[in-house]
Amino acid sequence: MRYRVRHLTEYLYAAPVTLCYNMTHLLPRDTPKQRCLSRNIKVSPTPIYHSAGEDYFGNETYYFSIQEAHKKLTIEVESIFDIDEQDLPNQLSLQVPTCGELRQILAYADTPELRMVKEYLLDSTHIHRSAKLAAYAADTFADEVSVLQAALDFTHKIFQEFTFDASATSISTPAEQVLEERRGVCQDFAHFAISCIRSVGLPARYISGYLETLPPPGQEKLVGADASHAWFAIFVPELGWVEFDPTNDLMPNGQHIITAWGRDYADVSPLQGVIFDGGDSQKLNVSVDVQRL
Amino acid sequence: MRSPLANNSAPETQPVPNAPYVKPAGAFDEAFDEGRQPRAHWQQLLEHIGRLGTDGMDDRYRRAQRILRDDGATYDLNNDPLSPSVWSLDIIPNVISNDEWAFVEQGLAQRSTLFELIYRDLYGEQQLLKQGIVPSEIVFADPGFLRQCHGMRLPGAKALILHAVDIVRGENGQFVAIGDRTQSPSGSGYALENRTVVSRVMPGLFRDSNVLRLSAFSQTLRQTLAGLVSHKTDTPRVVVLTPGAYSSTYFEHAYLANHLGYPLVQGGDLTVRNGKVWMKSLNGLSPVDVILRRLDDSFCDQAELRADSMLGVPGLLEVARNGNVVLANPLGSGVLEAPGLLAFLPDICQFLMGQPLQLPSVRTWWCGNPQDYDYVVNHLDQLIIKPTYRSFASKSIYGHSLDAKARAETLAMLAKNPAGFVAQCYIPGAQAPIWHEQRLEGRPGILRTFTVATKNGYSVMPGGLSRVAESTAEVIVTKLSGSRSKDTWILSDKPEVEPSAVTEFPRDEAQVTNLPSRVIENLFWFGRYAERAEVSLRLMRTIFKQLNGVEPLPPESRNILLQALSQVTGCLPGFTENEELLEHPNDELAALVTDHERAGSIKANLQAMLACGEQVKEMLSADTRIILNELRDHIHEVDRAYTHGLPSVPEESLDGLVTTLLALSGLNNESMLRGMDWMFQEIGRRTERALLTATLLKATLGKPLPGMQQQLILESLLLSVEALISFRRRYRTGTRIEFGLDLLMIDLSNPRSLIYQVNQLRKYLNELPRNESMTSGLSPENRLIIKSLNDIQLADLAQLAHVDHRHRSRASLQQLMSQIIEQLEQFTSLLSDKYFDHTAGPQQLIKAKWKAEL
Repeated sequence: MRYRVRHLTEYLYAAPVTLCYNMTHLLPRDTPKQRCLSRNIKVSPTPIYHSAGEDYFGNETYYFSIQEAHKKLTIEVESIFDIDEQDLPNQLSLQVPTCGELRQILAYADTPELRMVKEYLLDSTHIHRSAKLAAYAADTFADEVSVLQAALDFTHKIFQEFTFDASATSISTPAEQVLEERRGVCQDFAHFAISCIRSVGLPARYISGYLETLPPPGQEKLVGADASHAWFAIFVPELGWVEFDPTNDLMPNGQHIITAWGRDYADVSPLQGVIFDGGDSQKLNVSVDVQRL
Repeated sequence: MRSPLANNSAPETQPVPNAPYVKPAGAFDEAFDEGRQPRAHWQQLLEHIGRLGTDGMDDRYRRAQRILRDDGATYDLNNDPLSPSVWSLDIIPNVISNDEWAFVEQGLAQRSTLFELIYRDLYGEQQLLKQGIVPSEIVFADPGFLRQCHGMRLPGAKALILHAVDIVRGENGQFVAIGDRTQSPSGSGYALENRTVVSRVMPGLFRDSNVLRLSAFSQTLRQTLAGLVSHKTDTPRVVVLTPGAYSSTYFEHAYLANHLGYPLVQGGDLTVRNGKVWMKSLNGLSPVDVILRRLDDSFCDQAELRADSMLGVPGLLEVARNGNVVLANPLGSGVLEAPGLLAFLPDICQFLMGQPLQLPSVRTWWCGNPQDYDYVVNHLDQLIIKPTYRSFASKSIYGHSLDAKARAETLAMLAKNPAGFVAQCYIPGAQAPIWHEQRLEGRPGILRTFTVATKNGYSVMPGGLSRVAESTAEVIVTKLSGSRSKDTWILSDKPEVEPSAVTEFPRDEAQVTNLPSRVIENLFWFGRYAERAEVSLRLMRTIFKQLNGVEPLPPESRNILLQALSQVTGCLPGFTENEELLEHPNDELAALVTDHERAGSIKANLQAMLACGEQVKEMLSADTRIILNELRDHIHEVDRAYTHGLPSVPEESLDGLVTTLLALSGLNNESMLRGMDWMFQEIGRRTERALLTATLLKATLGKPLPGMQQQLILESLLLSVEALISFRRRYRTGTRIEFGLDLLMIDLSNPRSLIYQVNQLRKYLNELPRNESMTSGLSPENRLIIKSLNDIQLADLAQLAHVDHRHRSRASLQQLMSQIIEQLEQFTSLLSDKYFDHTAGPQQLIKAKWKAEL
């Protein structure tokens, strides 16, 4: 499947910003099943300094700084992708390893790959393992259950028990609070799932990207109606990182476009940095457009 | 006092005493062997101490303290510029024989090479983790492992420039490394200062002892830093980055900056533009190639590291990542300090260097390993528990000191998160003799050693910073504070041929004259506060004399003087709107002297001045520091005199302050090069004196009084500016207001007249660097000064002295002074806009971080 993604970010400041330094994770990366045909980023006003690179996790980065006074900052990203579909049923038929076996395998970690996977078992900026979260996920990830089945069940469980509510939470709601309130947005669900999975001693990571939305039958698709999305992946020996989308209760297959992955949102935040001046308020507009070509 | 050394008669060959103190069983002693006889390499030193005797040693100790204080060698300023804690130094050096040192030196050089390789591996291929040499979670869980630093370009031959290793002796006397400092290792500056002080108080002994010199270390550091520059240049621009005056080791930062000849800067003095780092200076932005940093990793860049840092340079990491600036040490090197690594160091050394580790580390168990965990739980009493990685909050738990409850808590903590903790053997450290209460006593000690990268490897400082516990009760020396330091002598078999003494390096003039704007601003205020304090003090002294004079002061005169004092100090309303206060002025007067919380009081001004001085410590001459210490002493004296309100002779204790302030301004005039630092301090002084003189004239003479009372006012005014005698000599005919104005306003030969100040300001302005865009015509600040000069020169003194009877005032005088004050205030704000830095701090771009919304 071939897609074009347009992602427009616009900041409006109360007073002119005189200087800014920003690190972005806006350019989508390549993955074993996702090939980028072209990627472009345009920042206005034109940065005095910019540099593209690759971060610790292999994600694409773009760093820029602007020294001319501006009340409006726009960042336009356009990229085109080929995405392969997976043979999911075949993957799911794999009954090994079980959660118990995987925990054992990781305890011995006798290959370079497994040793590196351990990074995703630990706490990170937005992920804090806890007994409460472990208790919530323990049954699903019991020793005898296959890892893939457990992850699929857990994805379904979150979808069933939690309500999608864009107004419900502020940014980076702690997982225990999400558990209590049982509502949130995709990012909360992804963080929540990762927190639970790491709490039961299994490796999980955060993925940011986009999802193609289809209009109701018979209607035209609205431009800019799409949005950035977040989901998680769990590590399974032999298969590698297998993705799950708890917000939509499915395993991504051909319609999820990956921008970046890391331990959690903090590793892949689309835009981070500082500004000088700019007054005390700012307005952010984001529009995303995912188009099948 | 019983002391084996208390013999003052000092015979020619005094026998060397046996160990005069008992060492704990099993401990190694630096100075005395098992038979408690002096070790060979301590003989000479101990004989010397014996010859000096108790008085001699006490005298050396006091001299050392004085030198340290005069050098401004402080530790931990604790926000009080009045009573800085002086660096604690024991004058008996720790002596190590050359043979023994040679082994340590090799071990340290190897260890630094190893740590540099670890840095490169962790931020590069991570083979240590992939091959399982180091359990990966030790690094992955370490907050000091900065993934942002992955793939950083490192232009120099070595990435790790400086490395400090704490070593102690085990019971068998073998040295063992117990910890590493790699982010911004501190202590080398204090080690250099210790050497300077000890060699000054025991010059003969030092000269005859063949002590290895430290100067090569600084020379190597300079060469290495210069070699780090990513592009070809003859004049590498290096700066020392400090968190600022309130950092506990600020003295060292200033010391190193001066010693090495680099500007000392704070985060706000630097800015990132066009992908490079620049220093904001008087001459505009000047480029920076290398930063010797004393700031911890996470505080260095608000854009990518800690957003709440107040100390960093936004954008710095990106510049470093691209190799356009080099930091010593590189960002991310904090991860090397993790105690968890020590458990695996021998294997790491084999893996990365293919050779065994020479200098052993303290035996370390990582509790994430089940066998280690079992051992630790069963031997808790003999171990020290530490977090696996190092952080601000890291605390060590000493197993042997735990009661049952604390023990249970510690075990629970370990059980909950075994991978988060390591255990280490407890090594008490060797005993070293110190001079304490007039005799030798033994204390356990630790030695911080320093290495610096060279082209081919690492060079080790011959010696280091020895530290001993303050009391015998302390088991181990952990922090710099609360311990006593020692110079460390490595004895050579033969005298060194190299030139002696710690040499100052030639300064790069272009760089040194190009001062950071912040330094200029602090010097400007230093001058202003000094002048403000002096003028207020003089007026106050005069008032005290008049109030307590033989003739009672008429109430009208008294009121005007007191009100003038409120105006000059700016402590308003004070005497200006309070009849009651005028009748009973004592409490208010005492407060104006000693209440440091009242802006404008003498003490507040002096404190502000000392704080500015502290900010630019590296710019102050040795003599200036001595005078500032005297000033501190005088402030304490005044405080004591004023403990119970106004003393009976209140002006007496103020004299010391005035004299010291005069010494300071005299020193500036006589000994300071006329660089921009002098210029701005002088501009500050002159502006302040002009402002206060105008204020004083307006407040004292603006309101007319009849005959006698008026004369008293004029005389008081003249007395307070030291002009009464000249006045009487010059105007024998009487005390007319016009004559006073002549002397105080328009006499160019009187260095305290108004016109003198403004005229000086005009001269200085012509010397300041000009902004290129302002080539034509006068600058606005110059205009204001010339206008003020004209206003003063064109004034008609008779007109000014004229009393407007309807309003009972000297209206023209009041108006002219108000106008001049306003112009001068405008002048200072223009100057400040032009030369000082006014960037507000950065804010995070994403206040409400955005959320993926689907």
